[in-house]
Amino acid sequence: MSSELSVFAARLRDFIGIASTDSLYLDPADDLALRQHLDIEFNGMAIVLFGLQFLRNPAYRKFCEARRVTPNSITHWKQIPAVPTVAFKEWELTSLSPEERVAVFHSSGTTEQRPSRHFHSTESIALYEASLWPWFEQNVRLATNDLRLMILTPRSKEAPNSSLVHMFETIRSRVNAPESVFVGMIGTDGGWTLDFSAATKMIADSAASKQPVFVLGTAFSFVHLIDHLTEQNLRFELSAGSRVMETGGYKGRSRVMPKTELHALISKKLGIPNENIVCEYGMSELSSQAYEIRNPQSAIRNFQFPPWARVQVISPETGAEVNDGETGILRIFDLANVFSVMAIQTEDLAIRRGDGFELLGRAERSEPRGCSLMVK
Amino acid sequence: MLLPNYFLADLPAEAELSPTMITEACQTLRRNREAYLLPRSTESIIELLCGVAENWLHPEYPFRKLALEQGPNATGFSCETLAAGLDRFFKRFTPQAFRNLLVQELGHELRLEKILSTANEEKESRGAIVSAPELLVHIAAGNLPNPAFMSLALGLLTRSAQFMKCATGASFLPRLFAHSIYDEDRKIGSCIELAEWCGGNIPLEEALFVEADCVTATGNDETLAAIRQRIPSRTRFVGYGHRVSFGYVTKEALSGFNAKKVIARAATDVIAWNQLGCLSPHVIYVEPGGIHDAEPFAELLAQELAARERSEPRGQLPAADAAAIASRRAFYEVRAAHSPETRFWRSENSTAWTVVYESDPRFQLSCLNRFVYVKPAADLKTTLENADAFRGKISTVGIAASEARSRELAVQLARWGVTRVCPLGQMQDPPLAWRHDGRPAIGDLILWTDWENE
Repeated sequence: MSSELSVFAARLRDFIGIASTDSLYLDPADDLALRQHLDIEFNGMAIVLFGLQFLRNPAYRKFCEARRVTPNSITHWKQIPAVPTVAFKEWELTSLSPEERVAVFHSSGTTEQRPSRHFHSTESIALYEASLWPWFEQNVRLATNDLRLMILTPRSKEAPNSSLVHMFETIRSRVNAPESVFVGMIGTDGGWTLDFSAATKMIADSAASKQPVFVLGTAFSFVHLIDHLTEQNLRFELSAGSRVMETGGYKGRSRVMPKTELHALISKKLGIPNENIVCEYGMSELSSQAYEIRNPQSAIRNFQFPPWARVQVISPETGAEVNDGETGILRIFDLANVFSVMAIQTEDLAIRRGDGFELLGRAERSEPRGCSLMVK
Repeated sequence: MLLPNYFLADLPAEAELSPTMITEACQTLRRNREAYLLPRSTESIIELLCGVAENWLHPEYPFRKLALEQGPNATGFSCETLAAGLDRFFKRFTPQAFRNLLVQELGHELRLEKILSTANEEKESRGAIVSAPELLVHIAAGNLPNPAFMSLALGLLTRSAQFMKCATGASFLPRLFAHSIYDEDRKIGSCIELAEWCGGNIPLEEALFVEADCVTATGNDETLAAIRQRIPSRTRFVGYGHRVSFGYVTKEALSGFNAKKVIARAATDVIAWNQLGCLSPHVIYVEPGGIHDAEPFAELLAQELAARERSEPRGQLPAADAAAIASRRAFYEVRAAHSPETRFWRSENSTAWTVVYESDPRFQLSCLNRFVYVKPAADLKTTLENADAFRGKISTVGIAASEARSRELAVQLARWGVTRVCPLGQMQDPPLAWRHDGRPAIGDLILWTDWENE
C-alpha cells in the first residue's frame, strides 16, 4: 500500500477529530474562525490528496490527463476533475492492489446492470467508519437508555457488498443497544425484503415495554413495512426517544412515494413524530454521508455533508457551479475516499442551498444499455 | 393574439375536469358531427385541410406567429426548430396527396361517400363503401405535434367526431391547430374536442372510452397495454408503440462530391424536432471504404451540428433532460480517456449537441435532444445483427445510397421488419400517405361494407 496515502489517512483522522467537536455545530456563529480554518485546511488537504491519487490511481490519472488537469495546474479543490459514478462500473478506480482489497461495495440497482465497484482495504474500511460515525452522531441524536435498534436490511454476511449494510452494522456495533435486530432478508429474486413477523413483533414489544426504537432502512423498505402494517390494520405508538433514519432510493423495489407522504405514514403507523425522522444520503462510491439538517427558523431541510466532504451543484449545460436556489447535478468531494477517488460526479439532481443541497432525485440513467427498450 | 375559450384544453390550469363534462362533450361532438361534418363531401374536407395548411405556411398567419412566439416556452423547441418542423409538415397537405392517400387506402377517393367499384370489382359485379367511427378518441403522446396533427386531419377526412386527450403540458400545438380549423370553419371545428390531463386518470378516461367507437393511442408499450385493457371490447383500438430509427450511409454515397451533402442530411435528421420523434435516428451507421470512415464522418457531423446550432438552435431543456445528457457525456468522456475506440465531440458550454463515435457496432439508444452515435457498419446484414435486440421496434431507416442499392437494402430491411426506408435527410418528413408503423393510415380506422350485385 502506498505509504503516502496512509500518512494522508492518518492526517485526515486528525482533521475529522477537530471538525467533529460538538460546539462547531451547536452554535456555528461562535466558531467562525474554526470554520475558516477548516475551509483552508480542506483545500490544502484536497490538493494534496488529488496529487496522491493522480500518482497512485492509474484509471483516474488517465481521465485527468484527458482533461489536461495535473496536480501542478490546480490551486483550489473545485478544479479537481470529478469522475462520474458510472466510471466505477467500467474501471477499477482504486489505488489498492488486489492483495490489499478485503471488501468491495457495489451500487445497488436492478440485476441486469453492472454495479459500481468501490474497493476497500482494512485501512480504508477503518477510515470509512471513522468518517461515518461522528457525523451520524451529530445528526441522529439517540436516546441513551434502553434503546433498541431495528434495521430493515439483511445482515452484512448476507449482503457483504452493501455499503449501507456495512454502515448500519457499524452503527449497531457502536450504539449501546444490546437488543438489536436486522429484519431484512434476501428475497427469492435476490432483492431485499422484510421478515414482517419479526419486525411487527419488535415494534409491538417495544411499544408495550415503552422502550425507544431506532429504525434504520431504505425508503423502499419503509414502504414495505408501512404497507404491511396497513394490510394488518396495525398502528403503534413507539415511546418518545424513538427515531427513524431513512435513506433515499427505491431502485424499482417498491412503489415510489413522495418523501413527505412516506414520513407522514411513518409518523402515523409508528407514532414517531416528523422531527425524529432523519434522512441520510450516501452512495457506495463515497465514504462519507450527508444528513438532512433542519433549519429551525425556516423549517427547510437541506442535506449537509461533514466538513471533510464538500458539494457543488453543477449546471448540466455549462459545467459551472449554479447559483444558490438553482437546480443542477451534484458533485461531491469526499476526503475520506483516500484510496479511491475523492471527486465524484453523481447523476443526482439537486437544488443548491448554501453549502448544502436539496435532493430532487436521479437523472435518467446515463449508462447506455443494449436493450432498455425491451426492459421498459 | 388571444385564443378564444373553446376547447376543454383552453380552460385555466386550475379548472378541474369531471367525467360528466367528458360525457357531455362527447355527446355534443356526436350531434355536431351529424349536423355539420357528415353531410360534407370528401373534396370539401380536403379543401378545408389544405387551406388551413396553406395558412400555416404563411409567415403572418396569426396561429403560426403565436406558435413561434409562445412555442419555445410551451414546448422547449426553439423558434427555428418549430418553424422548420411546421413547414415540413404542412407542405405535405396538398389536394393531390390527400387523394392519393384515399386511393391507396380505399381503392377510390370517394369510397367514404358512396358504393364504388374498382375495375376488377366491376368485373365481379361488386362494389364497396366504407364507414368511419362516429366518435374517434385519440390519446396523444407528448413529444412532438406531428402525430397529433395527422390524427386530427385523418379523423376529419373520415368525417368522424374527434376527442383528443393530450399529455400534460403537451396540448399547446394541437390546440393551435384545432383553433386554426375552428377559425376557418366553425362548424367543422365544433366536431373536435381537446383536453389535457395526466394519463391514467381512471374516472375521466372511463367516461371517454365508453363513448368512443375507436381509440387511437401513441405511447410506450406499457401505456398502450394499460389503455387497451380499459377499452370496451366492442371499441376498436389502434395503438402506435414506441419506435426507434437509424441512418445508414453506404460507401458509394460518400464520394468526394457527395460527402458534404450526406453529412448535412444526417445533421438534418438529428436536428429535426430535436431528434425526439420515433422517426429520428439514434445511430448513424457508416460503411467503410468511402471517402470517410465512421470516425472522420462523426467529426464532420459534429462540425455540421455546430454550424447548424447557430441557424437552428436546439433550445432550452429542463434540468433533468440536460442532466441526462451531461451524465451520458461524462460516461463517454471516461471511455474516451481510456480507449481510442471511443471518441466524442460536444457543444461547448451547453448540451446543444453531442456526437459519439464508437467502434463497437452494437445499436445504442441515444438520450436524444441532438445526441447521436456514429458507428461503423461492415454491411447491412451485420448491422442488423447488431441491432437484433431492437428487431420489430425499428421504424425508419434513412439511407444514403444510389437508387439501385437503396432498393436492394430496402428489401433486406423489410424482411427484417423495418417499416419505412427513406433517403437520409428526410427521416422526420414522411409523405402524407405514410403507413404509420407499417399499418394502413385510414384502413385501421374504418369499416368496409361489401356490396354484391346479382
